[in-house]
Parts: sequence; C-alpha cells; structure tokens
Amino acid sequence: MSKPEDLVRKLPNDIGGDPAEQIERRERDLEPWEKRCHALADVLDFHKIINTEEKRRGVEALGTEMIANLSYYERWVVAFTNIAFEKGILSPGELAQKMDELRSRWTC
Amino acid sequence: MAGRDLAVSKSVHDHSHDSAGDSNEPGYFELMEAALRELLVEKRYFGADEIRRQIEVLDSRTPALGAQVVARAWTDPAFKTRLLADGRAACEELGISFYDDTRLIVLENTETVHNLIVCTLCSCYPRPVLGLPPDWYKLKPYRARAVVEPRAVLAEFGTIIPDDVEIRVSDSTAMVRYLVLPRRPEGTEGWPHEQLAALVTRDAMIGVIPVNLPAGAAR
Repeated sequence: MSKPEDLVRKLPNDIGGDPAEQIERRERDLEPWEKRCHALADVLDFHKIINTEEKRRGVEALGTEMIANLSYYERWVVAFTNIAFEKGILSPGELAQKMDELRSRWTC
Repeated sequence: MAGRDLAVSKSVHDHSHDSAGDSNEPGYFELMEAALRELLVEKRYFGADEIRRQIEVLDSRTPALGAQVVARAWTDPAFKTRLLADGRAACEELGISFYDDTRLIVLENTETVHNLIVCTLCSCYPRPVLGLPPDWYKLKPYRARAVVEPRAVLAEFGTIIPDDVEIRVSDSTAMVRYLVLPRRPEGTEGWPHEQLAALVTRDAMIGVIPVNLPAGAAR
C-alpha cells in the first residue's frame, strides 16, 4: 500500500481521488483577520510579490503536519512569511519584533 | 487520511470560539498577518489603502453577479455565444471587473451534459463573479471525491443526474477558473431578467444543484 514511491507520486495538497468522508456543508462568514489575510494575498499577487502559484506551493511546503493542524488562512499567512524570508523581503527577526510590538500595542 | 480534515474542522471550530470575543487578545496568526502587512507597508511594497480597497472589492463580489450573467445568457443568445467563447470578456462587458489574472471558462449544462467544478489542489474559484468559496468547497471531502465519484457527491447535495447524462468535472487552477451555466428551468418562458436572476444560486453555478423553481411558483 504505502511504498516509498507512492510518496513521490503526489504532493500533500494533491488529494483528488483520495478516499474521504461525507461532505459537510459548512457555511460561515470569514473573521475580520481572515478577510484581511485574503485581501493581503490578492495585493501580494497584484504586485507580483507572491503570486497565487507561489502561495499554493508555499502551503504545500509546510508539510503534512502543519497542513493538518493549521486552519486555511493560518496556512496562508505562514506560507507568506516563509516566502518573504526566502525572497529576502524581510527577516525572521524583523517579523518577531513587529509581532511583539503589535502585541503590546493591542494589550496596553 | 481522515485525520487531516478533522483537524482542519477542529481548527476552524476553535476559531469561531475565539471570535466570540470575550478577550481582545489577538491570536498568534492574526498577529502574524498584521505584522507581515505592516512591515510590507513600511518597506513600501504597497500602501495600507490597497488592502482596505481590496477588502471592499471582496465584499462587493457575491453570487448575485454570477446570477446576472446566467440570466443574461438565458435571455440573450448572442451574449451566451460570447460568454461561452470568452467568459471573462463577456462578464467584463456586463461591468464585472476581474481583479485577478485569471481566465474564465463558462461550462454549459445541457440535456446531455452536467458540469461540476472543483479545485483538487487548493480552492481556486471564480471569485470575481461568485465571491469567496464556501468552506465545503475548500475542505478535503469535496476536493478529493468530486473527481472520482461525482454522482455520489451530487447525491449528497440531493442532486440525482440520470445515468444517460454525462458528468464533466473541471478542475480549476491558479490561472483558469470555471463557472457553470445551469439549465434554464422549464416554465420560465417570458420571465423578466431579474426574476430569472433571482432563481440562480451559488451552488447551481458550482454545479452541485440545478436551478429549480421555488415550490408553487409560476406555471
């Protein structure tokens, strides 16, 4: 069943044809930060900073465990930051510092 | 891999609890999004107003736009021909702008063909004309199964397609998106455009249900 070569045939996102359970017809409105994240994705694509294909590959590159445990927009935002690091747009240190700054701005 | 989707659902579920908002504490990923966005604005990759404008664009896109396109195609054969030839150009003709670099292919349902759209790799969707996709479109069961057992998937939506009707499943990509042109229900001859548009639902334009007359409507 699960031979090493099976792992090569499909990336984690390529799930067409995999066995899966019943469809649950979930409907919900996005949370405000999720909508901002979606708008950010669009703006990144407009400016060709990170395009849709790069985003999809960035999500795949998170690996099965993160894909399984992060929600849809959580995966996007982590993929964006990883790609931004790779492209030298920002550094992990800058991001950490900015997150700390925003956290203290939020809580004060 | 049932586990993956359970985890996704759980995560989505947990979030709705967070958003109940008993604390103003932002979540880790919400902070990460805000930090990334602010840094890119500081570095002048784009302006803060661009995000705000794009949120307005996202809010302006709903399945009502797609319904206008469908109703027009039902009542204007020349428009339908243009729509099937180049979906994007025909939508733009109706004033629906495409804010992304995508091509739109419109797939016509007929007596002999029923179309269904999916994105097996992620969640590509004709957003300029339908808005953002529902959660079920983005989750594993629909993405995994639509391409191999479309009849069973349709049955879960209460849609039974006769065996002699071919089902075509189109798998979207980052560059190519699809929209289903559903069949016009019988008994709507002579209906005005707006009344027709009101019949057309998001799910009918994804292809999981037909367009139906409301119970007791028109004869």
